[in-house]
Amino acid sequence: MAQRKQIRWHIAVFLAPAVLVYTAIMIVPLFGTLNLSLFNLDQGNRVFVGLRNFATLFGDPRWSDAFWNALGNNAWFFVIHMLVQNPIGVLLAALLSSPRLRGAAFYRTAIFIPTILSFVIVGFVWKLILSPIWGIAPGMLDAVGLKALFAPWLGKEEYALTTLALVSVWQFVGIPMMLIYAALLSIPDEVIEAAEMDGVTGWAQFWKIKLPLILPSIGIISVLTFVGNFNAFDLIYVTQGALAGPNFATDILGTFLYRTFFGFQLQIGDPHMGATIATAMFGIILLGVCFYLFAIQTRLRRYQF
Amino acid sequence: MMSTARHSPLRSLAAHGILLGYTLIALFPVFVIVVNSFKNRRAIFADPLALPSAETFDLVGYKTVLAQGDFLQYFLNSMTVTVASLFFVLLFGAMAAFALSEYRFRGNLLMGLYLALGIMIPIRLGTVAILQLMVASGLVNTLTALILVYTAQGLPLAVFILSEFMRGVSADLKDAGRIDGLSEYRIFFRLVLPLVRPAMATVAVFTMIPIWNDLWFPLILAPSEATKTITLGSQVFIGQFVTNWNAVLAALGLAIVPVLVLYLIFSRQLIRGITAGAVK
Amino acid sequence: MGALTLTQVTKSFGRTDVIKGVDLHVDDGEFCVFVGPSGCGKSTLLRMIAGLEDVTSGDVAVDGTRINDLAPAKREIAMVFQSYALYPHLTVRDNMGLALKQAGVPKPQIAQATDRAGAMLALDALMERRPAELSGGQRQRVAIGRAIVRTPKLFLFDEPLSNLDAALRVQTRIEIAKLHRDLGATMIYVTHDQVEAMTLADKIVVLRAGRVEQVGRPMDLYNDPDNTFVAGFIGSPQMNFLKSGKLGLSSETLGIRPEHLSLDHGASMEPGRIPGRVSHVEKLGGETLVYVHTEDHGLLTVRLFGEQDYAVDEAVGMRLDPTRVFHFDAEGKRLR
Repeated sequence: MAQRKQIRWHIAVFLAPAVLVYTAIMIVPLFGTLNLSLFNLDQGNRVFVGLRNFATLFGDPRWSDAFWNALGNNAWFFVIHMLVQNPIGVLLAALLSSPRLRGAAFYRTAIFIPTILSFVIVGFVWKLILSPIWGIAPGMLDAVGLKALFAPWLGKEEYALTTLALVSVWQFVGIPMMLIYAALLSIPDEVIEAAEMDGVTGWAQFWKIKLPLILPSIGIISVLTFVGNFNAFDLIYVTQGALAGPNFATDILGTFLYRTFFGFQLQIGDPHMGATIATAMFGIILLGVCFYLFAIQTRLRRYQF
Repeated sequence: MMSTARHSPLRSLAAHGILLGYTLIALFPVFVIVVNSFKNRRAIFADPLALPSAETFDLVGYKTVLAQGDFLQYFLNSMTVTVASLFFVLLFGAMAAFALSEYRFRGNLLMGLYLALGIMIPIRLGTVAILQLMVASGLVNTLTALILVYTAQGLPLAVFILSEFMRGVSADLKDAGRIDGLSEYRIFFRLVLPLVRPAMATVAVFTMIPIWNDLWFPLILAPSEATKTITLGSQVFIGQFVTNWNAVLAALGLAIVPVLVLYLIFSRQLIRGITAGAVK
Repeated sequence: MGALTLTQVTKSFGRTDVIKGVDLHVDDGEFCVFVGPSGCGKSTLLRMIAGLEDVTSGDVAVDGTRINDLAPAKREIAMVFQSYALYPHLTVRDNMGLALKQAGVPKPQIAQATDRAGAMLALDALMERRPAELSGGQRQRVAIGRAIVRTPKLFLFDEPLSNLDAALRVQTRIEIAKLHRDLGATMIYVTHDQVEAMTLADKIVVLRAGRVEQVGRPMDLYNDPDNTFVAGFIGSPQMNFLKSGKLGLSSETLGIRPEHLSLDHGASMEPGRIPGRVSHVEKLGGETLVYVHTEDHGLLTVRLFGEQDYAVDEAVGMRLDPTRVFHFDAEGKRLR
């Protein structure tokens, strides 16, 4: 750089706005929340209680039942995304990237539409479609002779969570599709042509050449899905309300946090336990991200083209 | 012949079949809502999949919605919040990304990691303290509160993506600018920013969608009538009119159509932005 | 005016020393080429002269004035980059005129200067195009034009031909040489290609690992190298190095260029004749390169004029031209 000897004020000027806003609005409150989880009210006074809030959250049945229920539901929510969303995303991207496919732009545009819709729209649209009163879903099943399979899925404890997870998959499948599509396009034509010359074509070409090259993208998508899922709230809140019914069958950490912190109906809001839940979520997400960074990413090879 | 060697018509047909099938799944719910929002109550239930005809066409739902909620206000609120946040995210994010990618200075790597932390840790976990902060500074129920939060929320990803792209900008080009007498600020605004426009589009998409669609922070930080965003406004409205199907469908239709129109106008840029990293 | 003087110039990145004390003087109007293998520090040295890298210690001076702490734009230099570094959003004319505009030169003067440079480089018809609409050779000429327009004291070239194809490279090389004659300006040119160095330079600076190995006119370096590195680097194909001991000589290494070896057929063992077997033959039409494997010295290259008939595996013998041999000591230094 030009004037190393002088203080390079321009670096500070370039960095300052981002660092200030980010620190003040994101980092400080995050640590404020972590800190708040170490306190509780004792006869109206805030007192330091150490890790006792966490003991309550994990051990006291009044709290722990709800917490473990939400955590388990959240894990299932994530599993469905990994098993359904990402494979569909990869499949669609692979089809879209096949050379000389006509109308690829149309498919891309159309399949991405659900992703731009808000949770409010998505939640209510599916609530209406799946509603037994309106009868679109039973009507369509009837048309293919499967009416017996219909159930009010969102109202049944055993189906509600899976149904919502699939709705969420429907909404977000565009993101893995696009990222994988971009990764597939970045594979140089020469590599693909070399594979053609070597007789590696069709599905074999996908499995043996393309998939290994897009694994890093799939890894990133997985960790983004993880963070997004363990931070989800909106879809459940919109369709099932803060009580995440039926009978908490769709309660995940986000709705649990909301209910605890702000209170709902008869329950009174509790900022300290809310902060404790947020801290627990922070820990879970951090664990997941670290697992990805140290156990998975170090084993994924990135290739330079 | 090349085409027969590499492309069998059967496989291409199967590809179209699958893609078309999924496209139907993706569009069907949108289709159902928009179509039924223009029908009268009886027709909605009688044949949900039929297009509105002369006798079933009815705008009663839209009339109810427009008479009830202040949707124009909500829409303007959403626009203000999204555009302002986007502006700050892109400007501040690009500036920080330039500093991190262009200059060697002590703490560079650490600063990069610090800013990247926010990609993995969702800002929502700090909600408790953010609310206290906004209460303390008197910003509750202002759009400023939302803009601040969304700016902070969008910055980490913006810095990350933009600094990757800025590393790709020819070092020779920046040096040529220095030799031609451009200041560091002009190098950034005149040479680097125009070159990373595709990356800016990518960041804009990834920043804009969650801001426009967010329910959490409007619900907590700015739930007042004057500051409601369209997302929160339609959520509240639908909650109140849950049995008035015409009104619910019309509200959904109203919420879908603007986004859909915007998306269709910008979709080419949006998709080019997302795939920009690949299609150089 | 543009004499450049470097005095004990060094450069370190953290603990790594990239330039380890360089002294050099380039006269006004001289064409000086920095040459060396990749990683030798030649580009870093050029960027330090340009002001794009700061100088860790030592002085850089132009016409006797120290310019160490001057911003690049204030040094009255112009630089042509390997990747051309044209501003993609500006037309050819604006690319060439930006520096003048930045310096506050009035518009008519800028137009005059860009027109003159455009005419000089046969870019007249392309002045309103953008870089994306130009071919590689045209972009290269715009980059050179951008330098000319500034009428700098020093022209700096950073491997400007390495992105061009072979035919264009030769053509542009000739254009740059012509430009130097026409402008009479001081030029510093960095390359790893010794052919470019030999054909363009008034003065060649051979660099290795951050040190100057030798400075001199092209033919001086060719005919009178100071050490095995310079001897091996200048001249193509490379000089042959033989073990002096095996020839009954007192030095450590004996160097002889491929064109100064003579070759004949047969396996006879005469004094002064080095026997070997042909391992490969390259026929280039105008000349023939014969690679001979020897017991004592490994693979030696012989360069013969015209088309010659030698077959692979044939037994041959070589003779040295005794007036053309160089002797080196164990450290590779020339023994004179």
